[in-house]
Amino acid sequence: MKIKVFAEKCQGHARCWAQAPHLMHLNDEGYVDPGDIDVPAGDEKIAKHAVLSCPERALKLEE
Amino acid sequence: MSQAAAIPDHVPPELVGSFNLYKSPQMAPTPMGDPHAATSHLHDGPPIFFAPDNTRNGEGTWIIVKAEDQRRVLQDAATFSSFRKIFSSALGEDWPLIPLEVDPPEHGVWRSLLNPLLSPRRVMDLEPIVRERAVSLIEGIKARGTSCDVMNDFAFPFAVSIFLQFLGISSDRLHEFVGWANDMFHGAPDKRTAAARTVIAFLDDLRDLRRREPTDDFMTFVTQAEVQGRKMTDEEVRAMSVLLFAAGLDTVAAALGFDLYYLAQHGDAQELLRAEPQRVLLASEEFLRAFPTITPVRTATRDVEVHGVLIKKGDLVACPAMTANRDPAEFADPDTIDLDREENRHVAFAYGPHRCLGSHLARREIVIGLEEWLARIPSFRIKPGTTPITYGGFVFGVEDLILDWS
Repeated sequence: MKIKVFAEKCQGHARCWAQAPHLMHLNDEGYVDPGDIDVPAGDEKIAKHAVLSCPERALKLEE
Repeated sequence: MSQAAAIPDHVPPELVGSFNLYKSPQMAPTPMGDPHAATSHLHDGPPIFFAPDNTRNGEGTWIIVKAEDQRRVLQDAATFSSFRKIFSSALGEDWPLIPLEVDPPEHGVWRSLLNPLLSPRRVMDLEPIVRERAVSLIEGIKARGTSCDVMNDFAFPFAVSIFLQFLGISSDRLHEFVGWANDMFHGAPDKRTAAARTVIAFLDDLRDLRRREPTDDFMTFVTQAEVQGRKMTDEEVRAMSVLLFAAGLDTVAAALGFDLYYLAQHGDAQELLRAEPQRVLLASEEFLRAFPTITPVRTATRDVEVHGVLIKKGDLVACPAMTANRDPAEFADPDTIDLDREENRHVAFAYGPHRCLGSHLARREIVIGLEEWLARIPSFRIKPGTTPITYGGFVFGVEDLILDWS
């Protein structure tokens, strides 16, 4: 499972980071780092919550 | 000017709505009202309509009702501009608030400067101070008796004291600043203008002082910062520091006010959150969804269609957070307040590049304010014989909220 990151849509709400601080990495401004994220086994549920938390729809889950 | 004359020719008559944020039922000051719920019925009508007389100075605006459409408008800053100079023009001056009233790409330069100061990580460092302020205000209230005026005794001074801390101003001046803030946000028009001038003069003086005598605080940072290879002008420092005052006080205070107004009327929710304080974090997101305070307004930079409706260049477009947050297409049972709601992509802090710069701090202030209130104040209710007044407008609010725990 992968989290596809559309970093250009990120506006720094940081809701994904609130859901999954160990998966989502924010820069010094509080915006998500570009680059897709491999979801480790066992973190699927938390990854889904992180994706569903984005008000801007900047994240997508890929099986 | 008659109301009819204020409606532009290109607005189809069937899309002229009877609702506006200032005068409709529950939007004007209302005893024991629920102004957020009073916007829900807009989902039964067209997704976009024209609201005459929908700004403080009587201009009409389009209202975008649905969350998805608001997202499209607020994400598209090239078509829907924030450049307005509302604050300074009320004072007979001519400068945009920075970064709120500035458009991309310049907007991004200012945000990059300010974002690190209010990032989620930086806000974690402020947590002990925020908690200390909440505790000291609440303990003061408890020492004085078994009732209080929530806005004047707690919510407003709490938000103002965090602002003072952020700017590096001594909390000895709290009382004075609360008075200015009260006049600026809630006073009669002449008082508002006078208070805005007083706040600006104070911030200008602080700026000049920090240029001469730098220290380790926000104003020193701003006066020393380099933006595109140059120092900021005096007017830019003013436009940035006054925005922190204008945007971060009334909104947070009003949010806390509505939350405690709800809890005072729902003893079961109060007991649940008091018994299980770890639920406050999730519940506060639901409160932000149910009781948002703001309505972003944009100006169309070109002719554009939304749902087949022509918005003409120059038209104002309002995106009330209240309607998006009660959109049934976005939220299951939007009128039900569900303190365990998990999927909650509310728009209390707007969408797009102008997402509230202070959102992370505001969230912590609200969570900590509620945690400490519930931990220290026993079961509370609206004091019998008193009547809170709610109102809509550009920033929704509640006043005369007297809580009692005798």
